[in-house]
Amino acid sequence: MEGGKACAPSGVFAHLEMLEMQSHEAAVKQEEMEQQEEKLARLKATVQELRLQRDDLQAKVDLQQKGQLGKEGVVLPPAQPSARAVLEWKIKSLKAMLRLFYLTGISGKLTKKGVCFCISTAYEGTYLDSYYLDLLTEPEVQIYRHSVPIFIPLEEIAKKYLQTDIRRFLSVLSDHLNAYVQRRYQADQLQKHFSDQIEGKLQRNSLCDLLVFNYNVSRKSKTFLFKVRLLYGDLCCSLPTEAVVSCASDAPASVAEMAAAHSGLFRRVALHKAFRSFGSA
Amino acid sequence: MDETVVEYIRRTVLKIPRDKIKAVLQEWDFLSEKQLQTIKFNQIKDNISYDVAQLCEENSADIKQAAILDIIYNYTYPNKRLWSVYQMRKTGGGTETFDLQVLKKKFKRQLRSVLKNVTINFREYEDSAIWIRIAWGTPYTKPNQYKTSYVVYHSQTPYVFISPSVLKSNLPLLCQALVVASNYHDICAMELRSHSLNSLKDIVFKTYSQNFQTYCPKPIQERNVAPESEDLRIIQENRSEKERIKRLNREVFGDGPQPQLEFAQYKLETMFKSNPKMDVLDKEPFRCLVKFSSPHLLESLKSLAPAGMADAALSPLLTCIPHKARNYFKIKEKKAFSPESFVTR
Repeated sequence: MEGGKACAPSGVFAHLEMLEMQSHEAAVKQEEMEQQEEKLARLKATVQELRLQRDDLQAKVDLQQKGQLGKEGVVLPPAQPSARAVLEWKIKSLKAMLRLFYLTGISGKLTKKGVCFCISTAYEGTYLDSYYLDLLTEPEVQIYRHSVPIFIPLEEIAKKYLQTDIRRFLSVLSDHLNAYVQRRYQADQLQKHFSDQIEGKLQRNSLCDLLVFNYNVSRKSKTFLFKVRLLYGDLCCSLPTEAVVSCASDAPASVAEMAAAHSGLFRRVALHKAFRSFGSA
Repeated sequence: MDETVVEYIRRTVLKIPRDKIKAVLQEWDFLSEKQLQTIKFNQIKDNISYDVAQLCEENSADIKQAAILDIIYNYTYPNKRLWSVYQMRKTGGGTETFDLQVLKKKFKRQLRSVLKNVTINFREYEDSAIWIRIAWGTPYTKPNQYKTSYVVYHSQTPYVFISPSVLKSNLPLLCQALVVASNYHDICAMELRSHSLNSLKDIVFKTYSQNFQTYCPKPIQERNVAPESEDLRIIQENRSEKERIKRLNREVFGDGPQPQLEFAQYKLETMFKSNPKMDVLDKEPFRCLVKFSSPHLLESLKSLAPAGMADAALSPLLTCIPHKARNYFKIKEKKAFSPESFVTR
């Protein structure tokens, strides 16, 4: 307030402005206080409500226990879970956890003579096929049974890693299986959703590492036939390493350019997605 | 126009069940939709076959079309033939990219280089299987279209499913052509035979129901809920025994349906063992052939123990069939160290 006197000659307005600001600040503070009080009241009410609810539930539980006691006719110390029940509960939750493990793609379970692994494959957030490996651990690790497709080079991968690095073995095998299933899924999607654009049969082999097909492209109300040959040189990859798209030699230059663009697209984007993008373009 | 071709088509049509003729002809895609409409499919099969034959004559069908129709028929009804599984081997490892066109070309060239008079036809199916039909002739006679061999090959697998022609002498030629065309070095029969082609595939491709122990949630299968005794006064005396059998059976056979095989054959070549004083047949092998047959052998075996007709955990000789992928066995004396017999592989 000392400032008030000093400022007085320079202007009453400045003083007034300051007073106004002070009053505004006070008002804001008061409002905040009020809000806090309101909140406190609300919370208190909630606490009250929850207490009531708790009492209610407690009453119900008591009633139920009394009822059970009445039925059994034996007096048990109330609400003391047996060690067995606790153990059972723990086992149950652990089992549920183990079941969850398949979401990671590789899970295992001990068997009498070794361990059984399950490799679950997935693509674009969809779980696809699961494959199993039953391993014996005595006298050395060996594959007893499995359901891995014959064209996956299981023997080769086993020879490299099975004895020395089982983690590596499983991860390499999982890569192979995932890539195979993903290639197959793309070809299936293509046949399912874009069969109207495909001319003739889609030719593929078991491992789906070579796809050959023809498709129609319309440009300026004319249709051109593109021939495609996709080679997946990397068996742990779901995208082709080589994509050859060719059109008739007498097609205009713009169409040839388009074929080249498609070839690039096939190498970068999943097959069915590439086709979806043609549709929207 | 070759009359024998038309007659061959007519006889193929006769083999198809009447209500499926139209569907097969549509898949064949040789007669136009308009032509198909002129055929009355509700008359007797003989008349339908003549109608089809006449239309084929108008379209001047050749042996290639006739062969394709035969392939479609055999693909639709594979259980009409007996299939054997062959395994191919190669010395070097590694999978190479498989090109169907290359296989076709090599197979044809290889076979034709030995025998001029053969009809070879291919048809690819969506499951990456190729069906090969071969009709055999001799150096001086035309191929006999009624005594064909069939080969089903899934690319990049070492297994071939062969349904041989009654003309047996051609089998080595066929095997050789297959080995050359698919870049392998050797081929041998696996002693696994059945009419059900799909079950053979399930066995060698390991897609049959195996009981793997995992924590994975398996798709819930509808099980026949055993009728629990409705009458509370009746107590199952041997419940634990029944559960034991059920568990053992499940460990061996898994939950799913079994592959369909019609027989399993065991040839015993073991020594007859007797009291040395009795002096009978001591050095002679005891020859005996046991053949189990059933419309669905593995399902029958599976139901033996639960039905109480055999002790649980059947002999591994019976239960190893899908795992060993063979249904013909020779049982010999185990050499020296153990008197028990064993299965030769």
